[in-house]
Amino acid sequence: MAVFQSDVEVYDYIGEFISSVKDDPAIGPKIRQAGIIIRFVYREPQSQITIDARNPAPEGHFYTVYYGDSAVEPDLVMSMSADTAHSFWLGKVNLMAALTRGQIVAKGPVATALKLLPVIQPTYAMYPKFLKEHGREELVKFG
Amino acid sequence: MYGYQGKVLDVNLTTGRIETLPLDEKTCRDFVGGSGIAARLFFARAGKRVGALDPLGPGNPLIFMTGPLVGTPVPSTGRMTASARSPLTGIWGESSVGGFFGAELKFAGYDGIILEGQAPRPVYLEIADDQVRLVPAEDWWGKDAYETIDGLAGRFPGVEGDGTDREAVDGSAAGEPSAAAKRKPQIIAIGPAGENLVPYAAIVHNKGHVLGRTGMGAVMGGKRLKAIVVRGAGKVPVADEAAVKNLRHRLLEKMKNSILIEALHAFGTNSSMDLGSLSGDVPFKNWQLGAWEGYERINGASFSDKVLAGTRTCYGCPVACKREVEVKDGPFRMEKGPGPEYETVGTFGAMCLNDDVEAISKLNELCNRYGMDTISAGSTISFAIECFEDGLIKPEQTGGLTLRWGDPELLVELVHLIGKGEGFGKKLALGSRRLAAEIGPKAEEKLTTVKGLEAPMHDPRAGHGMGLAYATSIRGACHVSSLTMGVEQGAAMYPGLNLIETYAGMASAGKAEMVVKTQNLGMVISGAVIVCQLAGMVYDDADLVAALTAVTGLPWTLEELMECGDRIWNLKRLIGNLSGAGRQDDMLPMRLLTPTAEGGAAGSVPDMDLMLAEFYALREIGPDGRPSRSRLERLGLKEA
Repeated sequence: MAVFQSDVEVYDYIGEFISSVKDDPAIGPKIRQAGIIIRFVYREPQSQITIDARNPAPEGHFYTVYYGDSAVEPDLVMSMSADTAHSFWLGKVNLMAALTRGQIVAKGPVATALKLLPVIQPTYAMYPKFLKEHGREELVKFG
Repeated sequence: MYGYQGKVLDVNLTTGRIETLPLDEKTCRDFVGGSGIAARLFFARAGKRVGALDPLGPGNPLIFMTGPLVGTPVPSTGRMTASARSPLTGIWGESSVGGFFGAELKFAGYDGIILEGQAPRPVYLEIADDQVRLVPAEDWWGKDAYETIDGLAGRFPGVEGDGTDREAVDGSAAGEPSAAAKRKPQIIAIGPAGENLVPYAAIVHNKGHVLGRTGMGAVMGGKRLKAIVVRGAGKVPVADEAAVKNLRHRLLEKMKNSILIEALHAFGTNSSMDLGSLSGDVPFKNWQLGAWEGYERINGASFSDKVLAGTRTCYGCPVACKREVEVKDGPFRMEKGPGPEYETVGTFGAMCLNDDVEAISKLNELCNRYGMDTISAGSTISFAIECFEDGLIKPEQTGGLTLRWGDPELLVELVHLIGKGEGFGKKLALGSRRLAAEIGPKAEEKLTTVKGLEAPMHDPRAGHGMGLAYATSIRGACHVSSLTMGVEQGAAMYPGLNLIETYAGMASAGKAEMVVKTQNLGMVISGAVIVCQLAGMVYDDADLVAALTAVTGLPWTLEELMECGDRIWNLKRLIGNLSGAGRQDDMLPMRLLTPTAEGGAAGSVPDMDLMLAEFYALREIGPDGRPSRSRLERLGLKEA
């Protein structure tokens, strides 16, 4: 059974988690510094989240997050199942294996993606807390 | 024979005799090439007296070998190995290198070179097709590897286009100029470290490619051979040119679509610093820490941002992972030249808590110039810093130097001292195991060696299979002679061997079988064929079989290749046994079995007892550490 039952759940948890970091003073500026647009394309359930760190963000935020279709043209597209995305944010994905085996497909400047790895690493500890705070602690064990 | 030139250059430096040795099809079929054939030739020469061989003496055969794919259009296969009894470890030593020398040697008509004896005076070996001679090298002795390579290359001005012949170059009258005279020379050379017999001295090829591990540069220095210069105008015959062309096209497509290759292209081998630091693969502070915030300052992006000046590649490889760096001013100023690989960034950066990319670039250049292995040099220095910190090394022993973490100027000074053989550098030049033996048991607790070889920058606490691979590696702690790391970390898959699962790094159960398979395959792929282990990540077992079949015209099967790998591993193991190594040496040092409190592998240590028991059973290794007689006989190694 998939971790998320609908695209709405994907947006409620993964999407809102990514959004919650956009004003984080430690992580937000580093993502902003990358200056790119990253699109996460998920399947099962089909959904899409875009981080825009290139165009101006609303005041107080370091980037903008879009759910579903968006007009902005991404620099980097990361495609994976929503289950893999959930595991990824829990820090439980062997990235090397996932990329080699096509569980995660990256299209765009790999160098930029690598630069972001250390930036997002601290978020792995934040995602389980976010789920707990939003009443979905049981999802942690599905990572 | 397709894929082979069918002969090996056989040089006795004592007498000056230069002959060619035919390479028969059975040897090629049984040992494939590279360090596989080198082990066979070494055993034939040294026999069971290997334990009595002085690694630095005239009787230790130093064997350079290429493989059947070297010099063909099959991508990323232009490598060469050097093998001998190691002066650092006392057992089988080998190292491999990319670049262009291996291909050029085959173009000159040779699959390899055996060097024995000791020249009365320093010489270099010059090969131009079938014209081969020893040339006095007293003028080059004492010069660093870069000066030597540049200087020797400068003796062949004809490569610019006027076709200067040999007579014009060296004043001799050695016959008609070879067709090779117009070709750019490919050069390997040792620096002062090799001349001074530093046991981890390296052999440097065209400055940026290095036969680093196990002290092959010291073996060369012991023979008073400063350099080898090769030019060849021939070709490597392939059996099925159309199949090779198709295969090349397919492999290039795979490379084009591989994110790992893309990362290598973008940041070189140091592209693994980020993921490795997060997963616990990178050791810090002499393996005491599992995490260090400074890794972000020495990752691939940092080098690109601060010092990158270009990229280079090896023969027939589209990846171009080699970095060129330049430091324009400041204490670590260096002209544009070869940049550090991941391992060098690990030992002189992560291990010494040094986050200065300019200093690491300079340290890499210095090690290359002096001609020494950056892994052993950096690890020995890191070990010494910890010993100093704990009072096991006193300031009066260091000439007043204060050894401390994160001091790039100190690292530069220590590398100079090692390279010049001065002061405390003489102690560091021993390598960490011998230095620890001088200091005492407390220092031995800080060692990171297996069989005397300092471990590379991949932590077996994050990948337990690597722990077994290190412990049972033929040459000592090694991450490239088996394919364990790629498989365990998920970067490589070999469906024909059922090596397709995603392994949990921090688990020991069931790893022995994977390690045995990846060792045998590694003996063939990385040691014998010889495919670059980095670009070669896109090769699966079917690609390997297809490449060998297309090039050699022989109907290779995966089963045959695995048997070759098994045969090569067991012969090398036996050479190690005859050198004195046994089960007691199949051990990780205590430091690598001590869990870290932090990082991606916090709290994890490999279960060596479990894995070794499974391993010995699978390998049929007896209590004395030797392969069983029946196993050797089944592999056609009865005489061994």
